Amino acid sequence: MGHLRVAMDIGGTFTDLVAFDERDGSYVTRKVSTTPADLTEGVLEGLDQLLDSADDISFIVHGTTQGLNAFLQRRGERVLLLATRGARDVYHIARGARHELYDLHYRKPQPLVRRRDTIAITGRLDYRGEEVEPLSEAELRAAAGQARDEGIKAFAVAFLFSYLNPVHELEAERIILEEFPEASVSLSHRAAREWREYERTSSTVLNAYIAPVVERYLDRLQRSMTERGLTVPLHVMQSSGGILTAQTAREQPIQTLLSGPAGGAMGGAAVAEILSRPNLLCVDMGGTSFDMSLIVDGQPDTVQETELEGLPLLMPIVKIHTIGAGGGSLAYLEAGGLRVGPESAGAQPGPACYRRGGTQPTVTDANLVLGRIDPAFFLGGAMQLDVEAAHAAVASLAAKLGMEPLELAEGILDVVNAKMAQAIRTITVEQGIAPADFAIVAFGGAGAMHAAFLAEELEIPEVIVPVFPGSFSAWGMLRTKLRHDFTTPYYKAATEADRAEMKRLLDELADEGRRALRSEGVAEDKVEVTSLVDMRYVAQEFSLPVPLDSSELDDPNFAAIVAERFHQAYDARYGHANPSAPVEFVSVRATTYGDLGRAEAKRLNGAQPDSHDASSRKVIFARAEHEAAVAVRDSLAPGASLAGPAIVEEPTATTVVPPGWVATVDEHGFLVLRNQKDRR
Amino acid sequence: MTVTHDPASTQVDPITTEIIRNAFLSAAEEMNATLIRSAYNAIIYEAKDCSVALLDENKRALGQSAGLPIFLGNLEICIQLTEDAFGAEVWAPGDVWIMNDSYMTGTHLGDVTIFAPIYYGEELVGFSASRAHWLDIGAKDLPAPTDSTEIYQEGIRLGPTKVMEGWKLRDDIVDILQRNSRFPYTLVGDLHAQIAVARTGERRLSAIIDRYGLETMRQARDEIFAQSEALDRAAVAAIADGVYEAEGSLDNDGVTDDEFWVRMKITVDGDRMLVDLSESSGPARGAINCGEAQAISACRVAFKRLVNPDRPVTGGTFVPLDVKVRKGSLLAAEEPAACQWYFSPLGLLIDLFAKALAPVMPEVVAAAHHGDSMVNYITGLRDRNGNLFVNVDCLVGGWGGWQGSDGESCLINNVNGSINDFPIEIVESRYPLRVREYAVRTDSAGAGKWRGGCGTIREFEIESEDVWISLWYERSKTPAWGLFGGESGKPPVVEINPGSADVRQMLKVNRLPLKSGDIVRCQSGGGGGYGDARERDHDLVALDIEEGFITLDQARASYGYEPS
Repeated sequence: MGHLRVAMDIGGTFTDLVAFDERDGSYVTRKVSTTPADLTEGVLEGLDQLLDSADDISFIVHGTTQGLNAFLQRRGERVLLLATRGARDVYHIARGARHELYDLHYRKPQPLVRRRDTIAITGRLDYRGEEVEPLSEAELRAAAGQARDEGIKAFAVAFLFSYLNPVHELEAERIILEEFPEASVSLSHRAAREWREYERTSSTVLNAYIAPVVERYLDRLQRSMTERGLTVPLHVMQSSGGILTAQTAREQPIQTLLSGPAGGAMGGAAVAEILSRPNLLCVDMGGTSFDMSLIVDGQPDTVQETELEGLPLLMPIVKIHTIGAGGGSLAYLEAGGLRVGPESAGAQPGPACYRRGGTQPTVTDANLVLGRIDPAFFLGGAMQLDVEAAHAAVASLAAKLGMEPLELAEGILDVVNAKMAQAIRTITVEQGIAPADFAIVAFGGAGAMHAAFLAEELEIPEVIVPVFPGSFSAWGMLRTKLRHDFTTPYYKAATEADRAEMKRLLDELADEGRRALRSEGVAEDKVEVTSLVDMRYVAQEFSLPVPLDSSELDDPNFAAIVAERFHQAYDARYGHANPSAPVEFVSVRATTYGDLGRAEAKRLNGAQPDSHDASSRKVIFARAEHEAAVAVRDSLAPGASLAGPAIVEEPTATTVVPPGWVATVDEHGFLVLRNQKDRR
Repeated sequence: MTVTHDPASTQVDPITTEIIRNAFLSAAEEMNATLIRSAYNAIIYEAKDCSVALLDENKRALGQSAGLPIFLGNLEICIQLTEDAFGAEVWAPGDVWIMNDSYMTGTHLGDVTIFAPIYYGEELVGFSASRAHWLDIGAKDLPAPTDSTEIYQEGIRLGPTKVMEGWKLRDDIVDILQRNSRFPYTLVGDLHAQIAVARTGERRLSAIIDRYGLETMRQARDEIFAQSEALDRAAVAAIADGVYEAEGSLDNDGVTDDEFWVRMKITVDGDRMLVDLSESSGPARGAINCGEAQAISACRVAFKRLVNPDRPVTGGTFVPLDVKVRKGSLLAAEEPAACQWYFSPLGLLIDLFAKALAPVMPEVVAAAHHGDSMVNYITGLRDRNGNLFVNVDCLVGGWGGWQGSDGESCLINNVNGSINDFPIEIVESRYPLRVREYAVRTDSAGAGKWRGGCGTIREFEIESEDVWISLWYERSKTPAWGLFGGESGKPPVVEINPGSADVRQMLKVNRLPLKSGDIVRCQSGGGGGYGDARERDHDLVALDIEEGFITLDQARASYGYEPS
């Protein structure tokens, strides 16, 4: 009988594994190199390091970049796009928007289908979903034949108004498969059952483009795992923060696109629950980028729409904001002034201290020069950093600015911290949120090195560094549930809504979710359903999702109740509402969750303050040299406390505790940093 | 190229300067986020027809964020003109000003500018300002007339007016505004959104001064301006000295058949550039007149596209640029000239700027794009729910090619910024319209070694009685031109009931009645080509035929192509 719950997060450089032992509540982690040519190799290598036999596994989930890589490298499947005659070019016109105002050389995002592979098919529905022109079977058979002759196996079918009535798309699928049984067909009403034909088409094309790639990968991984004795189903993380069985993921591969970052946000939600801190700002700083996500009222901030390299994607997704600031951000001169980022040294040549040819100073070089990184303990000692090279790079720029090298090194960090804090402030203003009401959760290699400084800029008093900050996404995946999202249009003025009809639609969606969960082996009493209705003011294009309880549909005042809720949500988001204006429904959504049990670490005890292995080294803060305590994270027991200046090191991350801050280890093993400076 | 300047005059360290520089930019972003978040009408929060700026006490930009390209650096002037009118003693804490007069702000009356002085203690330290397009300020036709001949037909006109005193709203002024709008509720919402922008700017600038001190902030500011100026000067110095000219004409002014010319003479002398527009046409009877402030803004946009386009705008940007206009002309309108379509000559001006400098900046410039505004206003008494409706649709078109690349196809025009087209499914669900075709316009791109982008076709059928259409299409007489031997793109064409006995062609019209079953077919122009078409790579021509951007006939005629 298996006893290990295992999560694997396949990132661009490393594959992280975290295993939770249900017998004693302990965790084990592994980090192995990602194997881009065949991701399963890295995964299996990591698993071999982690466990003796796959039948020890009681539950397994993984986040994969397979689909994302295929997209980013444009190595997906050639797709034939079938569109409504008259609207064939919708995908290539791409709504005509230009996102760089002063760029004379602007180009739209590179489409995934060539125009010649876009075929117009006769057949038209009107705005009520009623047929005004029948579907041309002959044209479909010709298109399928053409695809077969040219060796195109992936079809995207996106017809106008299919979100109201899928009859033509379903008919198209039947005919294509008759002509060409090996074809992989993506239908727009399944990929994204929402209006706006360009966005729906784009989602469908992306699904078709990566489907065969993801399918082959999942087949390969499933086969290898079964050979190793795995007896439980393989699960895949979704961009929404829920998980799917591998079987379901094959049918909706776009849902897996951004599964890694979603794991981080779910880790944030888990921290919120464990600490009863409902509002968190999760920051992940890596080599080239700084990613931020929000946990509001205990839930990850989720949106129904996103863009990948400018191509829109309609699906529920955890909102990740990316800012061009990371360890590799370059410091340089422009017109006699200092600039830091967004240009990055990346991994090649990388920071000067990597000794791969980089000579310009980076954020990592500045941290190293200031003593905040131990050159012998970077990536747990896997990489030796060259302090002299970092110093030379910083000194060379400092000379041009007429500054002392150490002064510049700290200045580089001040600039990058200020930029990150300002970006966070702008994002939160857009959302109608005050950052000071939040605590920061810091993870990723460099997140905890900068978090306290960001917190000071944003007047946030507390920073939480969770356990395994370097494998936080994988840790987060162990805390999620199975999830299925279904949506259907319901376009009506709120005052004219038919409650019975809405209830029927929501029940159907929930049943669809229940069926999916049942097929994945979830017992009925482990199912939870939440409902949303998308609402907006009449004549607006964009809507806000408003939660509702389906029992509220029995209330004759239903329309007024949800309208009030909508006005409140609108006010929170936009800073004003218009209670006297008419509102309308756009679509209804049901999300079903299946609880598969979760990893619950037992509380740590045996608090023995100050029993940790402590050494010290010289670190610069506020232009002065301090003797900072240096502790190894593993040696810090619950209750242990370190007053800044201090550094806490672990193989995958470094936490900097500045002067005036105190770090305490709580009963869950989290490192909690508090600002103890005089506050008003 | 290393750009530098003498930093001897500054006492602030480079780190503080850089943090303050980012803080100014971030303050402008936050002001913009405040506006988008709290505006009531979609022209602001969707079409981004707005701009914000944080200015210092000398009305120079600390930070700015523009939603529309032609709103670049056009807010300073409003504050200067207010001071010119009422004296430098006019400012007081808590006062908020409103104005929209076209001859002062430069734009049409629908664009409302709101600004407030910022005090730190007793001292005037700056201004926060925003401009945004309101839904309706009482023009004779909704959403805007295409045939106005005097400004009085275009809405209520405000010189600098206090809308708040001591942070208290002046109810009498708000009442006047509301009485002159068909949408008074939305109007007040947008007014409050812009007041919120003013307060955000004040709060952010005060926070910067709290933290660094007024003296340090000002020294950093001077250094930041000096850096921007040095960058722009170096870029201008790199352009060969000389006098460069270009001209082009608008089709007409919407009410007469006269041509109107934008004529530009650019003198580059060392690190300075003078743009002389004074030979341009005199005032038009129709609504294409433009206030001087916007003519200057358009020159700044044209400059920015070629000079440091990715660098933020500060009070040091544009210092090397001077603009000369002739008072009372098309580009420096005076009472009572109509200004609703003030931006049509500006779209042309911006393209002409690149044409003039093409000989000395061949690797940077692009051929002309399809122009503006290519707009259809369809109004009617009954939408799908039986209510009065206004549908504004802007047809996207082709952009010009440049050295190393074809121009983009089906892209929104320059003056309309980043606006999206209207999805067919939304149009048909709301309005009594059926979109019969939305397609790339084959053979519309200007041929060239690097061809222009293609125009677009949008054809729709009217499904109700009591519907009217207004049109504003341009550049049939000066279609998007090519550069260095590249050909022009095809001009726009609009037909009512094409292929029928009563087919009619027109490019501008005001409230033409339509009936159920009428068909409107709109075709936007293509972009100009760059370089001799005969030098185009044979494989690229073959690919264009395969992709359907050009036909074999055009390939033969323009490119001398024969299939291999």
